[in-house]
Amino acid sequence: MMAPNVSCFLLAVLFSAGCNAVTSSDQMCTEKEANKTYNCENLGLSKIPDTLPDTTEVLEFSFNFLPTIQNTTFSRLINLIFLDLTRCQINWVHEDTFQSHHHLSTIVLTGNPLIFMAETSLNGPKSLKHLFLIQTGISNLEFIPVHNLKHLESLHLGSNHISSINFPKDFPTYNLKVVDFQNNAIQHLTGQDMDSLKQATNLSLSFNGNNIKAIEPGAFHSKVFQSLNFGGTFDLPIILRGLQNSTIQSLWLGTFEDLDDQDLSPDMLQGLCEMSVESINLQKHHFSDFSSSTFRCFTQLQELDLTAAHLEELPSEIKGMNSLKKLVLNANKFDELCQINAANFPSLTHLYIKGNLKKLDLGAGCLEKLENLQELDLSHSDIEVSSCCNLQLKSLHHLQYLNLSYNEPLGFQSQAFKECPQLQLLDLAFTHLHVNVQSPFQSLGLLQVLNLSYCFLDMSNQHLLAGLQDLRHLNLQGNHFQQGNIPKTNLLQTVGSLETLILSSCNLLSIDQQAFHGLGKMTHVDLSHNNLTGSSLGALSHLKGLYLNLASNCISIIPPQLLAILSQQSTINLSHNPLECTCSNSRFLTWYKENLQKFESLEETVCANPPRLRGVKLSAVKLSCRITAVGIFFFIVFFLLLALLLFWAGKFLLRWKYQHI
Amino acid sequence: MKGFAAAWLAWALLSPCGGTAWPTHTACREGGLEVLYQSCDPLQDFGFSADQCSKQLKPNLNVRFGLILREDMKELFLNVALINKGSSVFDYSYPVCERDQPKFSFCGRRKGEQFYYAGPVNNPGFAIPEGEYQVMLKLYNENGSTLACANATVICS
Repeated sequence: MMAPNVSCFLLAVLFSAGCNAVTSSDQMCTEKEANKTYNCENLGLSKIPDTLPDTTEVLEFSFNFLPTIQNTTFSRLINLIFLDLTRCQINWVHEDTFQSHHHLSTIVLTGNPLIFMAETSLNGPKSLKHLFLIQTGISNLEFIPVHNLKHLESLHLGSNHISSINFPKDFPTYNLKVVDFQNNAIQHLTGQDMDSLKQATNLSLSFNGNNIKAIEPGAFHSKVFQSLNFGGTFDLPIILRGLQNSTIQSLWLGTFEDLDDQDLSPDMLQGLCEMSVESINLQKHHFSDFSSSTFRCFTQLQELDLTAAHLEELPSEIKGMNSLKKLVLNANKFDELCQINAANFPSLTHLYIKGNLKKLDLGAGCLEKLENLQELDLSHSDIEVSSCCNLQLKSLHHLQYLNLSYNEPLGFQSQAFKECPQLQLLDLAFTHLHVNVQSPFQSLGLLQVLNLSYCFLDMSNQHLLAGLQDLRHLNLQGNHFQQGNIPKTNLLQTVGSLETLILSSCNLLSIDQQAFHGLGKMTHVDLSHNNLTGSSLGALSHLKGLYLNLASNCISIIPPQLLAILSQQSTINLSHNPLECTCSNSRFLTWYKENLQKFESLEETVCANPPRLRGVKLSAVKLSCRITAVGIFFFIVFFLLLALLLFWAGKFLLRWKYQHI
Repeated sequence: MKGFAAAWLAWALLSPCGGTAWPTHTACREGGLEVLYQSCDPLQDFGFSADQCSKQLKPNLNVRFGLILREDMKELFLNVALINKGSSVFDYSYPVCERDQPKFSFCGRRKGEQFYYAGPVNNPGFAIPEGEYQVMLKLYNENGSTLACANATVICS
């Protein structure tokens, strides 16, 4: 009667013991780079574990528990370069906390409820470059101890209660490159505020998420900035008037879906005439009276970003925008490509019309005035063309990069890209291609990168890739070969300069031994996610030093004669294959263990057979396929018995014969 | 004695490491629609509520959402999978924050920040047919790291 109770009790003890063991072993930091980089996140630690070596340089220690940090807290780890103490519930940073950490260059204190930082709390590091004090409750810049900040390059003060950016007089700002005031309570910028930063050169300053209501006239007078961000500000005209006489490389004035903004009229952009800006972003704004006068003060611009600006067309008679090099019109509502009136921007080198919200009609010759265009992105725009692309891309003789991925079906005529002979990269991924001719890419002699993944191509067309004599990188992922086989003569034979070939997810069952013949320059071959077996490796016999991905195939046994082919490659991935861990595969298993450094994803390279070894890492398998001592003993005994039996039988036979004479 | 041991066994199995399942919360309950959710991020729970709940879902719902960011949010993607009676109805992925298009004012927030959002979510309006649905939601960043994960049950009667 008592027995079940006791066993139950024992079981309970066992369970709780097991759990304790689990939790204690959980509290281990993970080593990311031996003796140098450790991750101790989310472990609830209240001190630096003794297991961390003194040589630790990068320590990710976020989401632990260190209410007070002082000079004993990290004293052992004097080689620290990067220290992340995000959300460690730090209240106090006491005197000389980092006194012996001469190499420390980054301290992250994000999300700690700091009550006080001692005057000398940041002393010690010889060149402290990056300080993160995001959401630490700071309301006054005097809170930051200034004594050791002369090498500071970036200061992150987002999500605090800061209302004035007036840096204290003794705050060294001359090395500052990035100061981030995102999501604070800054409403006014005065001349004094900006003068406190005047020693900094090429500064990037972010006021994103602050509702600036006033800028003192002249505050930015003759000041130079790398970038200024006023994202989400309600009243843009105030900003633009306030920035008078400044020089700004990149000005971000966009707004967001969750914020109300006022419609921008041409007058409101008047302030842009009084400053020098190279690049401007106005994403998600609404424009009223949208006409050529909207662009009156844009004449010096080199880059203009009008992403999701609710545009249906651009005005036709914009004058003086000859210097514009880059135009971003992503996520707008154009019906036809001609509605962007490209002739307004004759110097354009980069044009992006990605993610158009309506079905975009490419029309004919809509971009023909853009003779200098080098990059064109028309991806995700519902484009459908039955005969592409010479009419649509007329006169784009200098185009080097073309992205038509994620569109509706395109039909290719012969020499489909004759108008863009300089093309170096062509991306057609996830766009169904109807190829009615043999060689649509003929005339692209300079093309280096071609992405044809999931294009539903006819792979039996041996001339599909003809004319691509300089092609280095070819992605054919997700296209299917007939009967799952790459035959001896195939479409790859015309692209002899290929270095990277991706044939993953192609439903391949086999590859002919001669299929890659003529592809002698390959360095990266991805055959993952197919149904290949070991015998297909023969096709790689002439290649050396490959990165070879064979993950997720049907490889179970690798015959000894194919080991030489694997030996000559530099990196191999065999993970997620039904690998055989029996004596029939013993040669491979021995070789695998001797060449572990060649393999990647060792954790996922596991046995599938025999059942008792299923899921065991290949590197951990010990097979003994030679005959054991016990085996030899039984073998000898068996032979002795056999000999004895023969002897008796002979004797019996002789006696029987003798008796019958 | 037997009862005591059984209780202890139950305690030992459930309490120290028996998987800290977060409590199930109610996001909204009105107009014949009930939305329950449970965080499937083992590290933390989060708070969520929708302001208007009805069988005829209005476009551009206002929601409230609060959690601690365990990863940077420079790029953020939402994955929604809807399951009805064990079969997948739809699986959808939506970019919330991208480098070239930060849609919301919170894009760019950093790891460790306490995050609270009250505002519209830009959803289309549609009528929810009667029934019970399982919805899996996941917010992840450019490294594939999870920022929030929810198993939700939508009961429409």
